[in-house]
Amino acid sequence: MISQDQALTLLKAGLASSTADQTELVLIGEDLSLTRVAESQIHQNMYRSDTNVFVRAIKDKRVGITSTGDLSVEAVKRAVKDACDISLLMPVDEQFVSLPSSQPVDKISTYFKDTADSSPLQRADAIKKIVDKCSRADLQAAGAFRNSTETLGVINSLGVEQFNVSTKAELSMTVTGNRDNAGWSIGYDRNIKNIDVDALAATAIDKAQRSVDPIAFESGQYVVILEPAAVGQLLLFLAFMGFGGKTLFEKRSFMSGKIGEKICGENMTITEDPFNPQMLGVPFDYEGVPRRRVPLTEKGIAKGGVYNSYYARLAGVESTGHALPPNNSFGPYPKHMIMDAGTTTLAEMVKSTAKGVYITHFWYVNYLNPMKTMVTATTRDGTFLIENGLVTKPIKNMRISQSILEAFSNVDMISGERKLYPQYSVVMLVPALKVNNFTLETTEG
Amino acid sequence: MIENARQIVDLMHRLTAKSCEHAHLRVEQIESERLSTSSQKTNPVEKSVSTGYAVRVLKDGSWGFAASSKFDPAEYERVIKLAIAIADASRKVNSHKVEFAEPSVGERKYETPLKSDPFALPFKDKLGLLLHWEDLIHANSQINSSSTFLDFRRHTKLFFSNSGSAITQVLTHTGAGVTCGITKSRRERYERSFPTSSGQFVSGGFEAIATFGIEDQIERLTSEAVALMTAGECPSKTTTIILSPDLASLQVHESIGHPLELDRVFGSERNFSGTSFATTDKLNKLKYASDIVNVYSDPTYAGGPATYLYDDEGVAASREPLIQKGMLVGYLSSFETAARVGLPFSAAARADGWGSIPLVRMTNLILEPGNQKFADMLPDVDDGIYIEGVSSWSIDDNRDNFTLSGEIGWEIKNGKLAGMIKSPSYSGNTVQFWNSCDSVGSKDEWVLWGTPNCMKGEPGQNARTAQGSAYLRFRNVKVGA
Repeated sequence: MISQDQALTLLKAGLASSTADQTELVLIGEDLSLTRVAESQIHQNMYRSDTNVFVRAIKDKRVGITSTGDLSVEAVKRAVKDACDISLLMPVDEQFVSLPSSQPVDKISTYFKDTADSSPLQRADAIKKIVDKCSRADLQAAGAFRNSTETLGVINSLGVEQFNVSTKAELSMTVTGNRDNAGWSIGYDRNIKNIDVDALAATAIDKAQRSVDPIAFESGQYVVILEPAAVGQLLLFLAFMGFGGKTLFEKRSFMSGKIGEKICGENMTITEDPFNPQMLGVPFDYEGVPRRRVPLTEKGIAKGGVYNSYYARLAGVESTGHALPPNNSFGPYPKHMIMDAGTTTLAEMVKSTAKGVYITHFWYVNYLNPMKTMVTATTRDGTFLIENGLVTKPIKNMRISQSILEAFSNVDMISGERKLYPQYSVVMLVPALKVNNFTLETTEG
Repeated sequence: MIENARQIVDLMHRLTAKSCEHAHLRVEQIESERLSTSSQKTNPVEKSVSTGYAVRVLKDGSWGFAASSKFDPAEYERVIKLAIAIADASRKVNSHKVEFAEPSVGERKYETPLKSDPFALPFKDKLGLLLHWEDLIHANSQINSSSTFLDFRRHTKLFFSNSGSAITQVLTHTGAGVTCGITKSRRERYERSFPTSSGQFVSGGFEAIATFGIEDQIERLTSEAVALMTAGECPSKTTTIILSPDLASLQVHESIGHPLELDRVFGSERNFSGTSFATTDKLNKLKYASDIVNVYSDPTYAGGPATYLYDDEGVAASREPLIQKGMLVGYLSSFETAARVGLPFSAAARADGWGSIPLVRMTNLILEPGNQKFADMLPDVDDGIYIEGVSSWSIDDNRDNFTLSGEIGWEIKNGKLAGMIKSPSYSGNTVQFWNSCDSVGSKDEWVLWGTPNCMKGEPGQNARTAQGSAYLRFRNVKVGA
């Protein structure tokens, strides 16, 4: 892993060689270790070290972007020259004003040595523990245990100079039996010491044991209880569909023209908050701009989206520190979303439900109609019927066809406890929800 | 690259030959270039190069893998030793040993044939083509959003094994596509794309772009996008459907390709991408599809983005049947998975780059053409729906229950296309659905569709696959919400 001195020296050498009006260099590195298990055997076990430098050069409002994985000074200078040359060939982007200038950044402790130093043997020990527990329960384990160290360095010709090292650890597992039964759990933290292997294994095993011989269940609109992971999956797709500055500017967002209006239930407050002590977000974005806390919805009212410098200027607001790497054309989106907690527990939600469906998480969420926030997906690895306040039977996976905003308008109860849920480089801190009138379809042929 | 590779392979051989059953080295470089526009505005060109290497060892029946982008003798040794240490750690858990006999193919070379190197052409010309497409799109004044792209990739791959294989492949891909959109209201927006929603991807050079016929289709696309604003809703019923070749390709991808990945069948993706209903006890027993459906895997089929002569385990590519006369007869496989069921290697172990472990992936999947043109399929439909383009898709983690939707549709009444419908969708269960296929389109309308974005594995790998299909007709399918 490249050190701060090495990284900044390299980036500065590249910057000094630029002939553009403005230039930005972004170094993104990752040392990733990952152990995958299936059929209670480790079938993939890997380490990968990769660092790339991205260059954005602007000449007369013409933008050129290159990247290289070669960290020699010559290669980085070549990437800078290529970006400068490309910029000259590009049409003028009249909407481009400037790269961001330097701003002070708050410190957030994102690096944990135990995570960075965790070895293949330590991961194997954890997997062995899970496999043995499953074996004793006559179940099989599948899962993935990863730890990574990520480096982000940003400099530009306007004085931005940022560097950060962060760590991540994530353990997910699916425990299965031979009677169509399965249970799933996931844990995420920057500090690997906070990954509770025993508790995660117990959760997955318990669900697998309770989901033997699931029954088919008829299509309809039901009360559903969504575990935090299921809530996170819906929240993430909601963010992709409309919390980003690009979708708002292009009027493709469900919030377009509705800022200040009620778009979901009054109990729904969603905030982008990298400073939450459980979240520990990297304090600046890929332009080196400090990340900000951004209210997205407040008591059901649409408050606004997140921006990089480009779309912030177009929208007449300040960047919220949500730029993605220079080669990304998707546009900014939230990376650290938090949904306000309620006061109830999962047990109380179940107890209060006459008839409903308990959902652990979803699979293959995909858009049906982004403007209506309609998605489809199937439930997975722990779907249960609730009758008269009790979880009574496991049921086969069901398909959802559901507007997320409609679901978030029908939230009846919110748990006090929240969990971190990571997906697609986004981390969310989310509670469990009890939702009325949620559309479920049978998947039986 | 080759000088570095020789150093690493010598060291790998020295450090692993006695202690490991198998050792592979892959040294790879991916050069890529993507040019795009959004609503007549040019996006920054994305040009990148990534070079690195990976060592994969099988020691005492367990795998270890380590990869780095740092070319330095000390790093070579660290990476090789780490791969061995990772295999040792795996052994701590594993009770079963991976075993297979690895063939050596010796020294081999392959390069994608191409006439016009896309990387050698001036940016100005390539951007000019995109802006020309944009102008054609916006000739229809009602269109209020658009996008176009060109995508080029050159993947140089060196593969060495302790068993003596030394393979060099240089694979060049070209892709392009356009989309036009119209927003009717805050909650209604319609899009039409060509050649399909993710564009078309092939192996070959810039000369391929002209064969896509994009320019010829833009006027039709824009008028269809406008017409969708006033089109009818997709009815909810059980009926006959005809799928356009690109949507048929996605259907093959999701409900034939993925279920027949043998690692998935064995549960390797149980915690992430899911499993498959097509378990090995069903081999040569499951009537997967109707008699007229024949599907095979063929990385040697020319022109696909999965066209290669050797996979990332060094296995020589060949044509392998998967479904014959509707019967399940084969799988996509790797060394390890093929050995478990005694099937021939199908050369389907693929990594998306130097830092990734080869997984069982789709190759070029060929759904053999039948004998009916689209026009011949219509007269046998009294009441049905024709669905074109790709809008959305979702399939359960067992690859059984699916919902797919197209960009546009038409009702079929008394053997003829009738009113246009918007957001047509259909759903079903894989085996039941494929057994209801009663017409496979002919060679004249058959296309090998390149898919640039097939995700699988942890960490996620983005493979390029291809599925060849013409129009397909199915009976008794549930359509609409």
